[in-house]
Amino acid sequence: MVAATARSFLQAATTEEEFSPALVTGQLLGLDVGSVLEVTNCFPFPIREEDEEIEAEGANYQLEMMRCLREVNVDNNTVGWYQSTLLGSFQTVELIETFMNYQENIRRCVCIIYDPSKSNQGVLALKALKLSDSFMDLYRNNNFTGEKLRERNLSWVDIFEEIPIKVSNSALVSAFMTELESDSPVNQCDYDRLQLSTNLFMERNVEFLIDCMDDLSMEQQKFQFYYRNLSRQQAQQQAWLQKRRTENMARKAAGEEPLPEEDPSNPIFKPLPEPSRLDSFLITNQISNYCNQINGYALSLKATS
Amino acid sequence: MASKFWNQGGDSETEEEESDYEQEDNGIAAAEEDKAGGSRYLHSESDSDDSDGEKRVVRSAKDKRFEEMSATVDQMKNAMKINDWVSLQESFDKINKQLEKVMRVTESEKVPNLYIRALVMLEDFLNQAMANKEAKKKMSSSNAKALNSMKQKLKKNNKQYEDLINKSRENPVSEGDDDDEEEEEDDDEFEDDVVQHEKKEPVEDEPKDDEKEDWVQQLNKKDRLMEKQFKDPSQITWETVDKKFKEIVAARGRKGTGRIELVEQLTFLTRVAKTPAQKLEILFSVISVQFDVNPGLSGHMPINVWKKCVQNMLLVLDILTQHQNILVDDTVEPDENETQKGADFKGTIRIWGNLAAFLERIDVEFFKSLQCIDPHTREYIERLRDEPLFFVLAQNVQEYLEQIGDYKSAAKVALRRVELVYYKPQEVYDAMGKLAEQAENEDSGETESGEEPKMDTSRALPAFVVTPELVSRKPTFPQNSRTLMDILVSLIYKYGDERTKARAMLCDIYHHAILDEFSTSRDLVLMSHLQDSVQHMDISTQILFNRAMAQLGLCAFRAGLITEGHGCLSELYLGGRVKELLAQGVSQSRYHEKTPEQERLERRRQMPYHMHINLELLEAVHLICAMLLEVPNMAANSHDARRKVISKTLRRLLEVSERQTFTGPPENVRDHVMAATRALSKGDFQKAFDVIKSLDVWRLFRDRENVLEMLRVKIKEEALRTYLFTYSSSYDSLNLDQLATMFDLSDAQTHSIVSKMMITEELHASWDQPSRCMIFHDVEHTRLQALAFQLTEKLSVLAESNERATEARIGGGGLDTLPPRRRDGQDYAAAASAGGSKWQDNLSYSQGRLGSSGGRSGYNTGRAMGPGQTGYSRDRGGQSRGAGGYSTGYQSTRYQDTAYGGTGRSYQTGSIARGSHMDGSTRMVSLNRGVRA
Repeated sequence: MVAATARSFLQAATTEEEFSPALVTGQLLGLDVGSVLEVTNCFPFPIREEDEEIEAEGANYQLEMMRCLREVNVDNNTVGWYQSTLLGSFQTVELIETFMNYQENIRRCVCIIYDPSKSNQGVLALKALKLSDSFMDLYRNNNFTGEKLRERNLSWVDIFEEIPIKVSNSALVSAFMTELESDSPVNQCDYDRLQLSTNLFMERNVEFLIDCMDDLSMEQQKFQFYYRNLSRQQAQQQAWLQKRRTENMARKAAGEEPLPEEDPSNPIFKPLPEPSRLDSFLITNQISNYCNQINGYALSLKATS
Repeated sequence: MASKFWNQGGDSETEEEESDYEQEDNGIAAAEEDKAGGSRYLHSESDSDDSDGEKRVVRSAKDKRFEEMSATVDQMKNAMKINDWVSLQESFDKINKQLEKVMRVTESEKVPNLYIRALVMLEDFLNQAMANKEAKKKMSSSNAKALNSMKQKLKKNNKQYEDLINKSRENPVSEGDDDDEEEEEDDDEFEDDVVQHEKKEPVEDEPKDDEKEDWVQQLNKKDRLMEKQFKDPSQITWETVDKKFKEIVAARGRKGTGRIELVEQLTFLTRVAKTPAQKLEILFSVISVQFDVNPGLSGHMPINVWKKCVQNMLLVLDILTQHQNILVDDTVEPDENETQKGADFKGTIRIWGNLAAFLERIDVEFFKSLQCIDPHTREYIERLRDEPLFFVLAQNVQEYLEQIGDYKSAAKVALRRVELVYYKPQEVYDAMGKLAEQAENEDSGETESGEEPKMDTSRALPAFVVTPELVSRKPTFPQNSRTLMDILVSLIYKYGDERTKARAMLCDIYHHAILDEFSTSRDLVLMSHLQDSVQHMDISTQILFNRAMAQLGLCAFRAGLITEGHGCLSELYLGGRVKELLAQGVSQSRYHEKTPEQERLERRRQMPYHMHINLELLEAVHLICAMLLEVPNMAANSHDARRKVISKTLRRLLEVSERQTFTGPPENVRDHVMAATRALSKGDFQKAFDVIKSLDVWRLFRDRENVLEMLRVKIKEEALRTYLFTYSSSYDSLNLDQLATMFDLSDAQTHSIVSKMMITEELHASWDQPSRCMIFHDVEHTRLQALAFQLTEKLSVLAESNERATEARIGGGGLDTLPPRRRDGQDYAAAASAGGSKWQDNLSYSQGRLGSSGGRSGYNTGRAMGPGQTGYSRDRGGQSRGAGGYSTGYQSTRYQDTAYGGTGRSYQTGSIARGSHMDGSTRMVSLNRGVRA
């Protein structure tokens, strides 16, 4: 359960919308109280470029920022990070890696995903995610083979766990908000929602879906290739074994010691590395995300029409 | 006379060595230079001052050999005196080598007396030494060793000459007389010379080549000597010849046996053979020995040997036609004395041999020689002229085989003939016919001059078995190469084995394609189903297949069938290894080095230069075909460039050329086509055509004008189509006349093209007859629609591969092997919309597919229903199950073939892949409909 103050979200949302096409990340600060993770503050990271130097600077910035916040007596426990996304395309290996990094230091951390394009539709597009424990175990050992996955009974659904968010305001803020509320039933925001170019959202989603399909077929090809190789290798092994057995029979007949039936030095017994399923899992997740978005959107259209 | 005087004055002792002939020669030369007598004199003065080396010209090779030998004998004598067995052994080896040379020089079968005497001496000394055991003990170890080995060697060696040794032991006195009897007068002289110059150092060895050069002249002499050995024709019996023959054959393959020498000896024997059968037997050995002249696989047989070999084969055929009762067979081991039966013997005589195999070997050698010779030299052309020679031989062999009813071999031989003819267009074929006639005329002229000595020898020694030239020495060519091909090919189809038939078929296809009979050629390909089976054939047949396809593509292009042409050629160019696929050179691969072994193999596969298909032309045709298809296609699918690619090669090239910052004037074929492509995509047909026309490969086409005209029309048409695709959205209506003038086409043509586009729904428009306008309908898909279509396509691909995995699984082991946990694992059952449960029940192959597609529809609905992750997980379960199937069973290799056949690297024909692709696409269409419905 994540309880967050609206202020922190608004802070995050404004920075994100400022840099809209680019993706923004930032630190979440707060307290871990019992079963509730309270997010009380946040600050954005400067927009990163792929450069080592700048990255180091980023770390400095982060520390500096935390120090400043402590000085003004604000909660400065890192409880996670937030990041913006484009149409929910956030399920990447990088995200998981960052998660693992955070997880090392903070036992209970959370990632909040904010989708500006979706909130344009008038929905509060916030998601709090964490990695499931079983997935983290697997990830640490880095074996996403079919066997292990089956053992763990882990499917692609089980990678992320979504945590409910509860947004709460201080009494002061609530009062202020009531004060602000206008009398008219519609406001500018509602007018904005009436725009007709509904297709854009769909198009983008379908485009992303198509990309995902391509990726998925690539993954599938990888697997096909792997199984083809595997079956070939097995055939080779069988042939070798057959040969060895007949040889042994002959040796037996001749009264000699039989040769061992395993030969680890032989290259055909070297196990082929099975391709990781992580990618296909993530892609599947992604696809499901897009589908959900499209469905939700279509439903909302239907409802309004 | 004066000159002689000078000579005598000038040369001191050397003069005596000179043969009379030499003197005369000098004399004549001197006489000619009479006026410059003084200088001549001076010259000879200086001559005499020079060392002995200067005088080396005078002695004949024979002389020299004898000298060397006697010197060695001297050395041996010295060694005996000091009891030095080591040096004795060396000398013995040396003398044996010298003996060989002497024998070759004198061309006699008779071993020189000098040698025999040395042997006798050696043997005596050896016996003496062996008897003296005391002395033996005292010897140094190396000496004793040498003695022992000497003993063995001598024993072995002396066996050969046992008779002669005994003879010489019996009457050592009559040695001289013996000499006189045996050898000619000049030999006697040599003997004297040898004695005189015994003390001279042996002259350095002359290279063997010199001897070969003298070969022709020596042949004469040698024959006489051989003749002497078989002195009296009446004395020669079958046995003597047979014995000699066996002796020679036994020496074959042994170390130190000169291969050429062997051929000569056997050739002589053919002349003295007693019965036709024997002659035949010997001739067969001659031929096989001739094949051995060049060892190793890389080189080719010397050309003169090859020619002789062909002549021998013809001779064999002569005998066989003359004596019908002689059968050639390589399966039975013939009776020892089978060949004794004379010409009048009526029963069948079996002789070991295999005509077809010999012929094939000759052909291989011919092919190899053409591979090896540099095609830009005169030698190559000379070599090509030998083709009719082989052709006539093949023709005769084939006739003979047909006559004796061995149709299987006849088919093989016919194939060899087909392979000589198939790649020749009519002009070249005619030229070959003409050449054969010419060669015949020249031949008859040559026999008078060039083959004079041979005639002489045959006059001197009439062969015992006279064989008239029964088989024709002149190839007969039907007027038309097609007729010839038809005859041969139908014979092969009737009697040949699988491979022969396949090859003949490919040659046939190739030939039809050359003759511009595209439809016949194509039908042959399709009817024979060669494209399916060729992958399992040997590489050279695959190469032939590739070549036939290339030729077929060219033929289609000439006929204006662009799509067909592209279909034939695109596969060749897919991997970028055309050279290798056509065996016209080796392409360097950057990624993996070839082992020398592979390289050698590849080199052995190469086609001779005259059979090459011009690569530039091929590339030009391929790219132009691709351009004509691809440019309108790109225009039609502008919003989704990757969707429908007709020619990957062209696309890739286009990408590369677009990336260039500056495009210069076109240089090679690719640049030209790229420039044309750019022009064409803008609709500038004139420029496109001009660029294409400037290629200089067009001169390689016979009817260049027609081809270019065809090309011009095609380019115009495609330009029109491209234009319509690109700009139709900008028009509301468009007048036909306007369009026709724009692209310089007739109204009818324009009308037909546009109508065709309307019918195929490429263009959404309709005709307005009265105003001769087309009215465009704006039925373009919105972007979302287009994307949706694209998505469905992607989905169907994915579903396809899922199905494939499932099928492999079902084909592999059924569901029994599935761990039960997985079957009800996850929320599988919950997902069970109709498709899921159905699938579970269905085990059979076809229903499995049904089930899985049902599953997919379930997946769709599942998604629509909302939380719907269930549908997914089920789907994934299916996938991983499929995976299990792969690992457990995987018997259905069919999928492997279909899935990977296209990417198979070596010499793929891709037809299977194409088939599967087509299959897939049809399935795809039906799926799409389902989705749309």
